[in-house]
Amino acid sequence: MDLELATKPTVDAELAPTIRFAGVHKRFGPKIIYSGLDLDVYPGEVLTIIGGSGVGKSVMLKLLLGLIRIDAGSITAFGEEVTTMTPAQLTGVRKRIAMLFQGGALFDSMTVAQNIRYPMLEHGWGDEAGRTERVAEVLEMVGLPGIEHLFPAELSGGMRKRVGLARAIAVQPEVILYDEPTTGLDPINIRRINGLIRSLQARLGVTSIVVTHDMDSAFTVADRFAMVRDQRIGYTGTREETERSAIPWVREFVVGGKGVLED
Amino acid sequence: MSQPARPPTWHSWAVFRFFGHLGAMCLLSLRSTRAMLRRPFELNALVNQLDAVGIGSISVTILTAVFVGMVMALQFSAALAHYGASLYTGSLVSEGLVRELGPVLTALLVGGRVASGMSAELGSMAVSEQIDAIRALGADPIKKLVVPRVLACLIAMPLLTLVADIVGCLGGQIVVMAEVGVTARFYWEQVIATIQLNDLFHGLGKSVFFGYFIAIIGCYKGMTTRGGTAGVGMSTTVTVVWVSISILAADYLLTNLFLAL
Repeated sequence: MDLELATKPTVDAELAPTIRFAGVHKRFGPKIIYSGLDLDVYPGEVLTIIGGSGVGKSVMLKLLLGLIRIDAGSITAFGEEVTTMTPAQLTGVRKRIAMLFQGGALFDSMTVAQNIRYPMLEHGWGDEAGRTERVAEVLEMVGLPGIEHLFPAELSGGMRKRVGLARAIAVQPEVILYDEPTTGLDPINIRRINGLIRSLQARLGVTSIVVTHDMDSAFTVADRFAMVRDQRIGYTGTREETERSAIPWVREFVVGGKGVLED
Repeated sequence: MSQPARPPTWHSWAVFRFFGHLGAMCLLSLRSTRAMLRRPFELNALVNQLDAVGIGSISVTILTAVFVGMVMALQFSAALAHYGASLYTGSLVSEGLVRELGPVLTALLVGGRVASGMSAELGSMAVSEQIDAIRALGADPIKKLVVPRVLACLIAMPLLTLVADIVGCLGGQIVVMAEVGVTARFYWEQVIATIQLNDLFHGLGKSVFFGYFIAIIGCYKGMTTRGGTAGVGMSTTVTVVWVSISILAADYLLTNLFLAL
């Protein structure tokens, strides 16, 4: 597939946000993760969430999918409150929001094809022939054609992530959540994954939230940045604003992440 | 002036944790029962689990049962010889096997094997976010993972116990024929005359409960595993201990219950 980066769309803040975190509080035992976190994610944008280790970047993604319950506050997706949904209602949201887990989270006991077919079967997507065709199509999109019969144990780390991405996009979600999509990958696979994130946004208009430590990747894929600090979103800004930011702790993170430490 | 609150002691904390785990397992039981009744039924997963739990445990069941039957026959024939009653060894062996040792030893051995396997498998899935992925993809992990395992244990345990009962009696037969000098016909006539239908249901009934505890504890410990590969190892070890204790404790309670019926 073409890995050239697509032109970034401009984020229109006048639009209603696709996803909204409002006054979110969350703690695990004595450790407070969020105390009043607010964040809006707009349609069609790639929002990159950055922040130090253990500040709870990935937790945001799991809260949004209802995998973890919040203590207080509100999370809306497509205008509907997620936190009070029944399991059946959450299934409807999970059909529209897909997630790429950090290690791919492929099911070890299933082949690549069975892994990708899994969400299609759960959501009643197409008939058997249509599903088989879709498996081949998404594998082609992630640059891994013809590996349907392989098991996850036979794949490299980069291939696992790409198969995880193929599984995530199989049912054509409107939002994709990426949890550390490039961690542990070689430069070629990093470039490939970054290209896929941009390409999915350009071709399918998918809204993306990317949690990452990798600032090079972040600047490659992001339209907008949000930084978690002091148990809330301490900073949001476009790519250009973030690059020029004079806020010391944003600057420190951005410059440090680029491998050049300032005095 | 009021006294400052004392921090909880280790044993009050242990009691608190025990009831916490018990409550969580009751909740898992309730949810799995509800999921069991909901369509679609995961028949392929059930067949796979029946293969893993049932077929996979037959060899260990047979080996255990045959030696237990032989040892029981040796012990009873020696003890009964003091009273000149060694001819009745077959009765004692079969009664002991069918009511008690068949179900309990099968549950302990199969339980250790099966529950630790479930705990390790689900634990690995939990720490590699596969269980989160199942939920994120719109499915219910209890229906996909717990229900087939619970059903497989409920079906396989009584069948394995029945195999253990028969094989144990066969093991006893070999020793009784050699030590006491009775014929196979005499031995089996004695076994059939001793074992009532009630005894059989007593043993098989207990094995159904044991199967349920094996599956629920194995799945619970697996799904709540945290802390990477070290956590998986810890869960597996704890599972074997919990399963063994719960089988022995439940055996006492169920024996009381069945004797009262």
